[in-house]
Order: sequence, then C-alpha cells, then structure tokens
Amino acid sequence: MRRPAALSGIAFALIAAAPLPPYTPAYEPTGVDERGMWMQADEAERQMRDSPFVLRDPALNAYVRGILCRTVGQDRCQSTRLYIQRLPIFNATMYPNGMMTVWSGLLLRVRNEAELGAVLGHEFGHFEQRHSLEGFKRARGLGDLLTWTALLSPTLYSSMATSAIGGFYSFSRGQETEADLLGLAYLAQSPYPAASAAPVWERLMAEADATAAGRKRKVKAHRYSAGFFASHPTELTRATYLRDAAAKANDPGYPAAAAYRAALAPFIGDFLTDQIKLNDFGGTDYLLGQLAADGWTPDLLYARAELYRQRGNPRDLVSAAQFYQQAIDGGFAGAEAQRGLGLSLLRSQQLDAGKEALRRYLDATPAAPDAAMIGALVGQ
Amino acid sequence: MRVFFKSLVAVALLAAALPTAAQEKTGNKPGFTLTPGTARIVLMRPSIRVGEQSTGGMFEPNADWTLQARDMLGRAIGSVQGQLGNSVVDLVEPVGADASALAEYQALFTTLADSVIVYQFFPGNRLPTKKRKGQFSWTLGPGVASLPGLKGADYALFVTTDDQFGSAGRKAVQLLAALGGVGITSGVHKGFAGLVDIRTGDLVWLNADLQMGGDVRTEEGAQKRVAQLFEGFPGRPVPSATGQ
Repeated sequence: MRRPAALSGIAFALIAAAPLPPYTPAYEPTGVDERGMWMQADEAERQMRDSPFVLRDPALNAYVRGILCRTVGQDRCQSTRLYIQRLPIFNATMYPNGMMTVWSGLLLRVRNEAELGAVLGHEFGHFEQRHSLEGFKRARGLGDLLTWTALLSPTLYSSMATSAIGGFYSFSRGQETEADLLGLAYLAQSPYPAASAAPVWERLMAEADATAAGRKRKVKAHRYSAGFFASHPTELTRATYLRDAAAKANDPGYPAAAAYRAALAPFIGDFLTDQIKLNDFGGTDYLLGQLAADGWTPDLLYARAELYRQRGNPRDLVSAAQFYQQAIDGGFAGAEAQRGLGLSLLRSQQLDAGKEALRRYLDATPAAPDAAMIGALVGQ
Repeated sequence: MRVFFKSLVAVALLAAALPTAAQEKTGNKPGFTLTPGTARIVLMRPSIRVGEQSTGGMFEPNADWTLQARDMLGRAIGSVQGQLGNSVVDLVEPVGADASALAEYQALFTTLADSVIVYQFFPGNRLPTKKRKGQFSWTLGPGVASLPGLKGADYALFVTTDDQFGSAGRKAVQLLAALGGVGITSGVHKGFAGLVDIRTGDLVWLNADLQMGGDVRTEEGAQKRVAQLFEGFPGRPVPSATGQ
C-alpha cells in the first residue's frame, strides 16, 4: 500500500511479472484527503447497502466473493465488501474504502471463474494502489493550475490548458493499465490461469462490432491509441498487453467454466431479460451465441426467441416461433414460452396454431396479469 | 471502471459562480397547523457533508469537520425543537427489507425537495400546476405511514446541509479576480429542512437556503445554522440562537 504510484503508462509494461506489493491488513486512511474520501465512500456504501438494485441471494454472493478471494488471496479479500447490482452493463466499480460493486451485465458476459477473477482483480488493484486518492489529488491539482493560469496569464492558459487536461486523462489511463497488470499478477498467483484476462476484452470488441452492425452503424476499426478524453486504454491495447503479460507469466491454472455456468444458471434468465430490454439486437445476438458455445439450452433459446420477437420483422417472427418451439421441446419450464409462441404465430398468419399456443398459456397461468388481453386474442 | 473522480474535473471546471436569483426560501402547506401539545418528530439520518472548496472549485471532503457538524447539528436540532415544546428522536435504522423501503423514501424526499426548490421556490420557473397563489401541494404519498421506525410518531424531519469552506487558494483567487472585475464565489453553504406528516405523507413545510450562515463545525455556529434551517417552521416562532 505504501509504494508510490508510478505515473507513466509506459513504465507498467515492466512490472507485469513482478511480485505483489506487500499487503497491509485493515488499512486505515491517513491524511485529510484520504479520510475525507473514505467518509464519502462510507456514505455511498450506506446507500448501496440498502439499494433495491442489489442482488442479495446468499449463494450467489458467496460464490462471487469466493472467486474474488481465490484471485487476490484470502488476506486481501477480507478488506472488501462486495455488492452485486442488477444492471445489464459490463462493469464493476471500486470505492476507496473497499466497497466493490459487480454488475449483472459483467456476470452475464464472462465465461468462467477465471475471467471474472481477472476483472475483480483489476478492481481490487485500484483499491490496493489507492488510485482514487491519487486521481482526486490529480484532478484538484489540474483545477487549481487551470484557475491560476486563467487568472494570471490568459496567454499561457490558452497554450497549456489542452495539454494539461490531456495529461489528466493520460494519467487515468496509466492507472487503468497499472490495475490491469496488478490484476494479472493476482491471477498468475491464483488457481486461475493468467491467460483468462485478455479474452474478456477481445469478446467485448466483437460485441461492440455486433452492436454497431445491428444498428446499421459503421463498424469502427479498433485502435491502439486511446482518445484524448478516454479514461481507459482501448480494448485492443488492454487485450494485447494482457496477452503478452500472460504469456510471460505462463502459469498453469483451471478456469472453472462448468462450475461458473452451474452457479449462474438460476440467474441467467433474469439477466438475459434485462439484456434484451436494452434493444441491442446485434450485441445481444452475439452474446447469446457466445453463451451457447456449448449448445443452446432452453433458457438461451427462449431468450433468443424473445429477442427476435422484439425486433419483429416478419422473418424474425418465423425464427422466434421456431426458437420458442425448440425451447419448449427442450423442457423450458415457464408458460411464457407458449405466450411468445402464440403471439409470434398469430402475427405470422398461423392463426389456429397461434391461438392453440395462447390457450395453453392461459390454461397454465389463468391468473396471469395479461390473461384478459390474451383471452381477447383467442376469442374467450 | 472506477466512479470516483472521473467527473470531478468537469465539476471543478464548471463550478463558476451560480447566479443567485430572487428566490423564495420557505413553503408551508396552507391551513396546516402542528399537532397541539407535544409533536413527536422523528429525525431521519441527516445528510451532512463539510469540507473545503479547492482553488479550482472542487469539493474536498473533510471527515473531522463532518463528524463535528453531525454532532453539533444533532444537538442543536434537539434543543431548538425542545424549546418549541416538541420532542425529537433519532430514527433507529432498520435492517433488511425495511431498510430498502426506507432508503427509497429517503431518495424520494430528496427528489421532492429538489422539485420544490426548482419548480416552486423560483417564481419564474413554476410549473403550470403550481402557479396558484399561496398553494403548496407536495406529497410523498400515504406509504410513509407504513415505514419502519415511524410508528407512533407525528412527523418525519429531513435535514440536509452542504458546507464547502473556501480554501486559502480559493479566497486568494476570489480577491485577485475581484481586482480584475471578475466575480468568483468562494465557499458553498447550502441547507434545507423539511417536515412530512406521517399520516398523509404530505410535505407540510420546507425551508431551503443556498447561502446559509453559521459555522457548523462549532457549537454556536451550528445553533445559528439550525435557527436558520427552521425559519418558517409551522407552529410557534423559532427562538433564534443566543448571542447571534
């Protein structure tokens, strides 16, 4: 915790295989700035603790926490509290006081324990290196500098302001790189293979491409150079240096994919429902394809059917009906598959088959909130 | 992937002087009178933050000052309400599902108070439904009555203060800029307090001031601040702090 944070992004490429910094258990903040930041984070954590967005399932929480602890080590993980938030976006956050948030969109996108460990290790790296404090001081210094120069020498201000602001974002990217490589160092010392870190970013690039294509936007080339105001390095840069560092670490390990799928199985349906509501056909279809790498489960087929029915072109409804039927044949438990099947068939001019499916839905769930509306469709 | 300081630069750069337009500070529900006798008031956990304002205008939190202010303001609120003949108890924080429900109402109150300040207290910005003279019609809804920890009480009291003392650098910049004819503010001292009728959920009184007095880190200052916070409090007039 005491090592000074290096400031240049280039320097970090050298520390990849370095041993972990010495760890201080039960660290207490020192100095006005750090104590103030911890106080703010403590207030934020009070709100997080009571937030309705937090998933409180004890088994899931214990499982995700176990992955963090196996990645960074039992002693280190004692200093964190972990909150799983139901938010369909790929993200995790770290607060200076040791509060970590893990978003459901992240849980949906990683394929195994090791990949999740890679991201959680990155977040823990921010905490261990006290990046929030350094970033706070840097931001304050930048504000002070710009204010003084704007006041004392407008000429100097106009010539240096841009580079000073750019320097701040470059510093932020340096912190992210440092956290990436520290996260990789945790992974290399854990039961998980360090090689699991890079594929996360590679798939994120592919998903972004699929999203752009699905929205009829230009698929941009992925670059190494980050934008001027980018707080993080580009995905391509991260994937590349993580892959290089993992090759150097060359550690054996077991990514635990089957255990991950089993632990997440009760939640995947909800997470997919959230994802589909993002109205991102291309990205979601790509994601479903990734999740179905080892075969289409009834849950995944149902989600794909919902996705196609949502887009709703005539050809999509034919595909949707097919996916619903496959989900039902595969043993999908919920009656909502019959509902989706019926609605898709009705809108594909297959009136009798559609009404039949809707009747099966009503028979299975007579008290459904939309029973009256569906009843009107089938003429009951 | 880290939330903390990413937006701070933008805030620091944009935190120029806010115009302090003509603004109303207090609203009372017409016809409302406080329960006669001793009103039982539950004080929700106040939102208090105290720190410095950096030269560039960024908030620098200070844990010691905030702790002092929490202590001083709590005592001053109890003493002022005691002089009014009311009893104030701190909310006992619930756990589990109750805590979630309470957190949602806390957030709802903040949104409501912000709405009152923006859409009622600024006369030029009033919503068409809030334009009739003398009306003050805002509510959290009757669900408040079922919140944990409020059983048997008459009112819930919400208090928020935000204090950012101008740092030496900020004051120097202010002085220098003033010489050049540029107005830069130094320090932020905002606060608001609101009273909710637990039986109906109606907001019966709100007082908001974007430029408050009283150094909340000291006992006398906190008393002065609380006297200002309770301006227009329904019922008897609020005794002003001694010696102010």
